[in-house]
Amino acid sequence: MHKSMLWLGLLFLSSSAAQESDATQLVRNAMDHWRGLTSHSNMTMIIHRPDWERTMTMESWSKGDKQSLVRVIEPRKDAGNGTLLDDNNMWTYTPKINRIIKVPSSMMSQSWMGSDFSNKDISKSTDIIDQYDHELTATEEKDGRLHYTITSIPHEDAAVVWGREVLVVRDDYVLMEQQFWDQDGILVKTLKTLEVEEMGGRSVAKVMRMSKTDTPEEWTQMTANSIEFDVELANNVFTLSNLRNPRQ
Amino acid sequence: MSSSHLPFGAMSRLAWRNLWRNHRRTAIMLLAIAVGVWAMIFMTALMRGMVDQMIEDGIDALPGQVQVHHPAFRDDPSIDHRIPQPDAGKARGLQSPEVSGWTSRLRVPAMISSERNNRGVTLLGVDPQGEIALGFDPHSIIEGRFLESVDDNGLVVGAKLLERLETRLGKRVVVMSQDPENNIADRGFRIVGVYKAKLSSLEEAFIYGGLTTIQALLEVPGEVSEIAVTGHDYRDIDAVYRLVSGVYGEGFETLPWMELETYLGMMLKMMDGFVLVWIIVIFLALSFGLANTLMMAVFERIREIGLMQALGMKPSAILYQILLESLMLLTLGLLAGNVLAVASILPVQDGIDVSAVAEGMEMMGASSVLYPALKLKDLLMANTVVIVLGILTSLLPAWRASQYRPVEAIAKI
Repeated sequence: MHKSMLWLGLLFLSSSAAQESDATQLVRNAMDHWRGLTSHSNMTMIIHRPDWERTMTMESWSKGDKQSLVRVIEPRKDAGNGTLLDDNNMWTYTPKINRIIKVPSSMMSQSWMGSDFSNKDISKSTDIIDQYDHELTATEEKDGRLHYTITSIPHEDAAVVWGREVLVVRDDYVLMEQQFWDQDGILVKTLKTLEVEEMGGRSVAKVMRMSKTDTPEEWTQMTANSIEFDVELANNVFTLSNLRNPRQ
Repeated sequence: MSSSHLPFGAMSRLAWRNLWRNHRRTAIMLLAIAVGVWAMIFMTALMRGMVDQMIEDGIDALPGQVQVHHPAFRDDPSIDHRIPQPDAGKARGLQSPEVSGWTSRLRVPAMISSERNNRGVTLLGVDPQGEIALGFDPHSIIEGRFLESVDDNGLVVGAKLLERLETRLGKRVVVMSQDPENNIADRGFRIVGVYKAKLSSLEEAFIYGGLTTIQALLEVPGEVSEIAVTGHDYRDIDAVYRLVSGVYGEGFETLPWMELETYLGMMLKMMDGFVLVWIIVIFLALSFGLANTLMMAVFERIREIGLMQALGMKPSAILYQILLESLMLLTLGLLAGNVLAVASILPVQDGIDVSAVAEGMEMMGASSVLYPALKLKDLLMANTVVIVLGILTSLLPAWRASQYRPVEAIAKI
């Protein structure tokens, strides 16, 4: 906490170029904070629509920026459905048909398990670090903590449709908000952190909600029930055979 | 006519006068023939126009009247089935007076997304100069510009696709496809040009990028999906086809457009038969009226025919007489019908707007403006069918008239 205050002080003194790289560092830290070197968590996803709602509980593992595995535990009819991400490639496994399917590029824009997240949102979440130019645009104090607002503009040839993304990162690197703006400067969707809690030895976003600006009645909410960071993960966790036959 | 003692002049005068004895009946019959012939010619011209246009549009959409692919490409048009870009030797081989232009392109299925929407499209990595030589009309770019070089970083999309994606010229979109290792290949492109096609289904289907840029994206440098060659007339491409098959032998699939777009090839082949069937169907309806009219004319004149035979006219002369009447009727009707048809086609040759049913037309691959195409071949066919079958139809009443026995015929009331 003190460290980051000091860091902020330095930030105000530094040049704009340095500011940019510091903003990048801030985003990097937020992503690292969120994922850790490795992580193991249990989450509940609620997909909400005006006329129905659906709840799923999932277990997930991650390692570095590139590897993660998500497996549904509940409800029973979906149990065992899994998604494996390894270096921008994505596979899904459905026990009912006993098949692993590699998600082709044409399906990357489709919704992930019926939620408001697209397959791309899931697989590319850390790409924001190097496919964008980051700039610190505001700093404000809320509830006794500093919130940094970072505006990230994608590179010309980045595979990103957004005009810009705006990230709000708290001084303890919890990502509080992620806004997706189109190229005309209209807010399209927002990922908001509703609750922060101390879990696995650090404060993490416990409840996050993704909603589109046009349809505020439709949202997807992720609640972290438990998270452990920097756990020991076997080498075979992020493999296709483990996706099919859970071993951990 | 040699069997007759009557000179042709007298016989035709007799026929002419007989024709106008019951002028109302003759006028109605003339009208029926004229309308029938008009319908044959006018509708045939419309259909010809529509099919011509479908074929031309289809070839424009290919484009390339003769194309070379990997043998498996047409069954599975994926990045796996590609061929090397033509080297200097092959390029020299394609240089010939029969060839009006050739180019090579990379053609893969892709996904294009904007902030709000995404669509499946066909991504074409092209050489802009080659495409223009092949018939891409730079005037079809309604906003912005066409690609400028093979390493252009921009993207040219159709107007309809732009609307579907809810984006605009100058905005960035993401194009996603797969490289040969099945990894996702994606990058952002800025839309630098918007084109308009005759069919909006084409506007939605094709996006254009620079060949080298797309090759780099898909990690297939120096390789393409197809080589497209055009000749001067799409109806006559045998020479071009032979030339290209000579340059690209074993291991490649070289096909003319009739086989690339079998639907269009079949249309062209089917059209002649179809026109004949159409003309004959109309004629069948007409022939009942014609036979009936002549039959009535014969029945009315049984006494008269008997008398003429009694005076020495041979049965064959009677037969010729009736046939001559029928011929005159048909000729007059044809004249009126042809004049009517030409007069109604000429004013609409610049196109008939059928945009009210544009959606239905587009499903067939035709555009919403019809250009009737009057062909001498069709005109001659309609006239020949009417004359030949008309005479055949009138043979029955004429033959019956010639078979009366003079005594019985005179005794009839």
